[in-house]
This record gives sequence, C-alpha cells and structure tokens, in this order.
Amino acid sequence: MEALETSATLIQYIIVKMGDEQFGIDISYIDNIVRMQSMTRVPKVADYIKGVINLRGEVIPVVSMRIKIGIDPDEYTNKTRIIIVKAEEYGRIGIIVDEVREVITLNSDDIDRISKSKDDRATYLQGVGKVNDTLVSILDLNALLSTEQA
Amino acid sequence: MDVSQYLEIFLDESREHLQNLNKQILQLEQEPDNMDVINEIFRAAHSLKGMAGTMGYKRMQTLTHDMENVFSEVRSGNIKIQSNMIDILFQCLDALEGYVANIQESQDEGTNDNEAIIKMLNDCINPSAGGAEAPKAASAEEGKEEAKAEAGAGWAKINLDSTQQKAIAEAAEQGKHVYGIDVKIQESCVLKAARAFLVFKAIEENGEILISEPSAQDIEDEKFDFDFSLVVVSEDSLENTLAAVKSVSEIDSATGKEVTVADFSAEKEEAKEEAKEEAKEETPATTAPAVAAPTAPAAPAASASPAKADNGKKQASKPVVGRTVRVDIEKLDVLMNLVSELIIAKNSLEAAATTSKEGSSDNSAINEQLEYLESITTNLHESVMKVRMVPIESVVSKFPRMVRDLSKKLDKKMELYMTGEDTEMDRTVVDEIGDPLMHLIRNSADHGLESEEIRRQRGKDPVGSIFLDAYQEGNNVVIEVRDDGNGIDVEAVRAKAIERGTITPEQAQTMEDKDIINLLFLPSFSTAKKITDVSGRGVGLDVVRSKIESLSGEVEVKSKLGEGSTWTIRLPLTLAIVQALMVVVGDEKYAISLGSIQTIEDVRTQDIKLVQNKEVINLRGNVIPLVRLSQVLDLENPKEDGESMVVVIVKKGDKYAGLVVDELIGQQEIVIKSMGTYINKNKIISGATILGDGEVALILDANALI
Repeated sequence: MEALETSATLIQYIIVKMGDEQFGIDISYIDNIVRMQSMTRVPKVADYIKGVINLRGEVIPVVSMRIKIGIDPDEYTNKTRIIIVKAEEYGRIGIIVDEVREVITLNSDDIDRISKSKDDRATYLQGVGKVNDTLVSILDLNALLSTEQA
Repeated sequence: MDVSQYLEIFLDESREHLQNLNKQILQLEQEPDNMDVINEIFRAAHSLKGMAGTMGYKRMQTLTHDMENVFSEVRSGNIKIQSNMIDILFQCLDALEGYVANIQESQDEGTNDNEAIIKMLNDCINPSAGGAEAPKAASAEEGKEEAKAEAGAGWAKINLDSTQQKAIAEAAEQGKHVYGIDVKIQESCVLKAARAFLVFKAIEENGEILISEPSAQDIEDEKFDFDFSLVVVSEDSLENTLAAVKSVSEIDSATGKEVTVADFSAEKEEAKEEAKEEAKEETPATTAPAVAAPTAPAAPAASASPAKADNGKKQASKPVVGRTVRVDIEKLDVLMNLVSELIIAKNSLEAAATTSKEGSSDNSAINEQLEYLESITTNLHESVMKVRMVPIESVVSKFPRMVRDLSKKLDKKMELYMTGEDTEMDRTVVDEIGDPLMHLIRNSADHGLESEEIRRQRGKDPVGSIFLDAYQEGNNVVIEVRDDGNGIDVEAVRAKAIERGTITPEQAQTMEDKDIINLLFLPSFSTAKKITDVSGRGVGLDVVRSKIESLSGEVEVKSKLGEGSTWTIRLPLTLAIVQALMVVVGDEKYAISLGSIQTIEDVRTQDIKLVQNKEVINLRGNVIPLVRLSQVLDLENPKEDGESMVVVIVKKGDKYAGLVVDELIGQQEIVIKSMGTYINKNKIISGATILGDGEVALILDANALI
C-alpha cells in the first residue's frame, strides 16, 4: 500500500467540453489556446484535418476532435477554442474543442485506467478521472493525433 | 596553381564533414548495424577525400581513402563494426582535424603521415592480423603523444635572437635567474589580453620579460589562443614568480623552469650557423634539430621532433585565413520570419487605418507614418533576403584545379569551361550544391570522356571538354554539367541492371532508354569496371540525386552514345521566398510559382475540345491539356462555366498544361512556410504562405499537376 501511495503523482489537466462530455488534456502538452479563427482548407487530406491556421507566422494544422473521436461534426460558437498542443512527433498541432472550462489537478491514483476495448472512442482515452462527482475522460493525445485510421 | 582563395571554403566544408562524421560515428557506436549511418559516414569520408585531393593535401586524402575503404567493406557486409574500430575511427578523425588545423595555420597539412592509424584501418579490413596489431599500434601512438607532450613546453619553442641570448647569458653572470614560463588562460576568459597584461605586470614587479611568444603586441591585440610563453629574467625564485602569475584571476595554469641558453639548443645551433654564414638571415627550423640532436642530447628541447619545431614556427605566424562569422541559417530564418511578421502587422495596420477613415477626419498623420514604416519593412525584407544570396562562384571556382588534377590522374586530356559563376542563389542551396557538382564533374571526367587514343580514332578533338554552365531561368537556377565524351551506354546499364537483379530481363525489354538511364541514380549502381579513387564506387549519383531533391530541385540526364551527356540540375533560387501568381479558385486563394508559368490566356468555352475524353485547347498550334483546379482541389461548389475562362499555362520540361482558375489577383512575393509533417499533404500542394491579411494560402506545385 505504501509503495503505491508514494508512486502517486499530481498532474494538471485542462478540462475541455465536447458535446455533453468532459475531457482532460495533460497541461504539459499544451502550448497555447486561441479563439476560433478562419482556417484555410487543405485539399486531399484526411477528413479530421480541418485546415491550417496562421499562429504568429507559423502555419499550423488544425484537427477536429469531434470528427476524430466520432461524434457529431463541429458547430463553431463563441466558446469554440483551438488548443495548440506540442506533439512529440509532429510539432505543433491545433485541436478544435467546444469549450475550455478550467484547470484541475488530479492525483494519478484518482484516475481509473480503462482497458482498451474494441470501442472506437476508448482508444483515445488514457483513463477516467473523478472530479467533484463528475467524470472526466483523460485523453491520450498521441493516440488522438495518430494518423493511422482507427 | 594557387588554391589559397578556396582555402576558406575547404576549411569550412572539412569542418562540417568532420563534425558530421563525429556525430555519425557516435551514432554508429550505438547502432552498429544501421546501414543509413554507415552510408552517411561513407559518403562524408568520400566527399572529404575528394576535397582534400582537390586541394592537393595528399596525406589527408590517403587517410580518408583508407577510412573509406573500411566502410566500403562494412557496407558490403564483409566486416562488422566492432568497438575497437570505433576507437580507431575517432583517432582517425582527430588526425584529420589535426590536418585541418595545420592547414588553417599555415596552408600546409603538416608532415605527420599518421601511418599508425592507416595501418590500424587496414588491419580492420584483414581482421586476422587486426586483433593482435591494433592494440600495439594504439599504444605506440599513445607513446608518441606522451613524448610530444613532454617536449612541448611552449617556451622551448621560442626563437632567440643573438641579443636575447646575450641578455640571458648576462643575466646568468649577474646571478639573476632566467625562467621559461608557460601560462594558460582559462578558456572561459573573455578579456584574454587584459589578463595577459596583468600577468606581464605581475612578473615585471620583480623581474623583466625578455621575450614573449606571441609578441607583446600580438597579445595586446588578442592574437593568441589561450596560452603564451615567456622568458623572464628575475632575481626572485621560480616559485614566487609562478605564484605571482597565478595570483592573476582566470589563469588556468602557469608552469616554468629555470633555463639557460643551452635549453634553446635548437636555436643555439641555428645561431651558430648564423654566425657561420651571416648572409643567411634564418635557416629553416626543420633542419636545425637534426643537427642539434646529436650535439646537445641533454637539453630537453633538443628532443623536440621536427614536427614540434614546425609547430613552434606556426604559432608565431598569424593564421592565414581571416575569420568570418558563419551565421546559422536557422538564425537567418528566424530573422526572416520576424520580418515577414512585421510586414503582416504593417498590412493589418494599413487596413485598420483605411476602415477608421470614415469615422474620423484626421488620418493623414497616421498614413504618413505608415508609409514610412512600409519603406522600412521593405528595405529590411530585401536586406535579409540579400544576406542569404551568394554567388555560386565560391563553390565552383575550385573545380578547374580538380579537373586539372583529374586529367593527370586519369591520363586523359580535358578542359573545363565554366560560365555563369556569378549566378546568385540562397546560401543554403549554395552550401549544399558543391558535393553534387563535384561528383558530376568527376563522373564526366572518369566515365564520360574517352582516352586520347579513342578520341582520335573517333575523329574527336583529342582534348575532351567538360562544360559547367549556370544560369537563372525564372525562379530557378539551372546548372548544367556537360561533356563531349562517350555518353551513357544504355545497353551496358541495362545489362548491369539485369546482372544485379535490379530489374528482370522482361522489365528491361519494355523499359525506355530514359528509364534505364535513371537507374544510374540508384544507390550502389556503378558501371565502371574497376574502382578508382576518382569514381566508380557507385556513391556518386545517388548522393547527387538525394542531395538535389532535398533542396527541392531536380536532376535530369540526357545522353547520346558517342556524343556525350548533359546533366541538368534545376534548383529553386531561394528556398524561402518566391515570386508567385495569386489566383482565386472557388472562394479560396492559391499561389502558383511564377517560375513554372508560361502565359496567361483567356480561353472561350467553345474553343475547348475533347481528345480521348480529356479537355484540351489548341494554343498557337500546341495542343494543351486543361486541368480544372476546382476539380483537382475538391471544391464543393465549382463555378459554372461562363463564356470564357482564365487559363494559366504552366510548363514542366517540354510538357505544358493549362490550369483553369476563376480569377487572377496578381503577382506577389511570398514567403514559403512549412506545413509540418502532420499533414500528409498531396503532392499538388508544395507548401503554404501567409498573406498580408494574415490568412494562409496554399502554394500549388504546377509540376505535380502536369
């Protein structure tokens, strides 16, 4: 038991909302959060790549998280944000989310690992965390950004 | 022939290759089976060998040649990389670095043959002998190093003239001490000259500095590395003198020894000779120790090898190559990015000023300042771009010498004719283009040109010609390497490809000559019967192609058997900025590089014909296929055809295509931005750019559309 307690670490997550569900993204991956802006469509690419944006002189691809995790296509509102993450393999990438809510701190013990089932969506999740009685799905960014078709 | 003007570029490139080799060998130690790394090392060694040969540095060439041999064996799988080999390779690199350092000091590679290392390298190829021999050779090398270190006291290398010798003798008579002192300043020290001055001052409190090496003037001007040597006359003890020196901060070490005139025996001998033949001002230092060694064996300085005496001289002379700042191209890229951002910011300001005009009345002051800002940003932009442009002369000017040497080595008569050396290109491109061109010229000289006899038999001028022509063509720079030699024997290539299993006999029958010639660009494909040190290992052409392609250029070869071949390299003028035509397709903006655009035509819809179910137009006798961009780019709502349409005619080689666009915006200078690796973009999109209003526009690659 003791060993388990000492191995527990605190990780900060940014909570984003997609539809009715809340997702957590490890804050250490996040470079920036910007408002929704006009995007340039890129022809002949995967459907989840919505286009490219200009982020202070750098051209950055933007991914629709909704399409990637297989829920209804995006509706852009005032609260829509693009989260710029730094992916190890690909450099900076933008992810469109419905809303950015808050930053929370979770103990790694509070996250239940879920078995990677055949369920499509589960492959993008690292686990499920509990915050004030609500559940937060912790995203596995590398799996989410993977270019392999699920 | 004087090669001094190419020295600097040789030094720069050698260092780059050595650095690369260091890196790759380190990686090889981790992954001894990584073929990519082995290939990379092989190529770097190959290039280094070629460069050293061009400049006439024989020892360096020999060493790299042997190194290359080892990797040739490794590459073909005959031997495996072992840890002792890595050690040897590093020693090899150190030796090469030694040559390069010597060359920078004196234009001479020095006299060290590094036979021990060469032997070890050769032992690697014959492993039976290698196991026993390698350690021995290594220890011998170590022993040598130690001997050098002992003899290497700096002050012993100081040349004394007769008055100084007299002064030392006088001081000894007066009961004063004479010390030779070596001082080393910490490498982190910023103000070396100031520290050296403090050392001088500390010593002069109790004594007198007879002579310093480098001279006091040079030390004051910071013309020394981190150490200098002094001969000091003092009444104080050696310990006190050294302590005084060490009390100055940022001094790494100070070592010294009480000396007499005899310790400068090499020079003493020289002085004797001088006395004998007073007409001769100075005899070469190299001859002196040979005489000195038997006569004064007790003096430590006498054991200095000839090489060391040489070094002493070299330290005295100033480096022959001036120092330039090599700016990392990435830093320039950052600068460039900032400038383009500045321009974008300025454009947005302009837009804001125009829109607010309606609200307020007094905008003239703002507009004036905006115009001022605009002229600054434009100038800044141009300057940054110019910094990146250099003439290719710096690279090609070393080729005449190379061809001359090749002519001797291959025993063929040949002449190199060059034009367009002043063609300017982006620094990144110029830096990289040297190796591929060198390979192509060697290739022409070795494989292309025939021997004098055969040329006579064929009724050609016995002196073969190689041409190197560079010129600008639109947004591209074209470099052609042409020879009037034998041309490529397509049948020989075909036979070789079948023999090697690259293609099957069936394939060979159906392949066109052009495709067969392209096989030459495959790795390890060489038709030369024997391996020479000029070419024939099959590293050349695949390096050429991969290099050119990495610069987003292309290489083509045209050849006629018996008449010669032409290698055409086409490269973008600059990797960062191009002139482009902005067009509108649907509601999206795209950029098309001006380099590939021939004309812009207004085509009436009724003039479009169908040939094999494809739309074509007949333009002044040429039948040109039409490409509807709205279809290619998957636009959702393509515009209906009106009475006429705008067609941009683009050209690739001798093929044309007409791109149908909806609207033209105009010509614009665009900054090419990478889209990263995440978007696995289609070939028709070659990149992206940021427009004045901050919007991103994609750049169409016309070549991919044809």
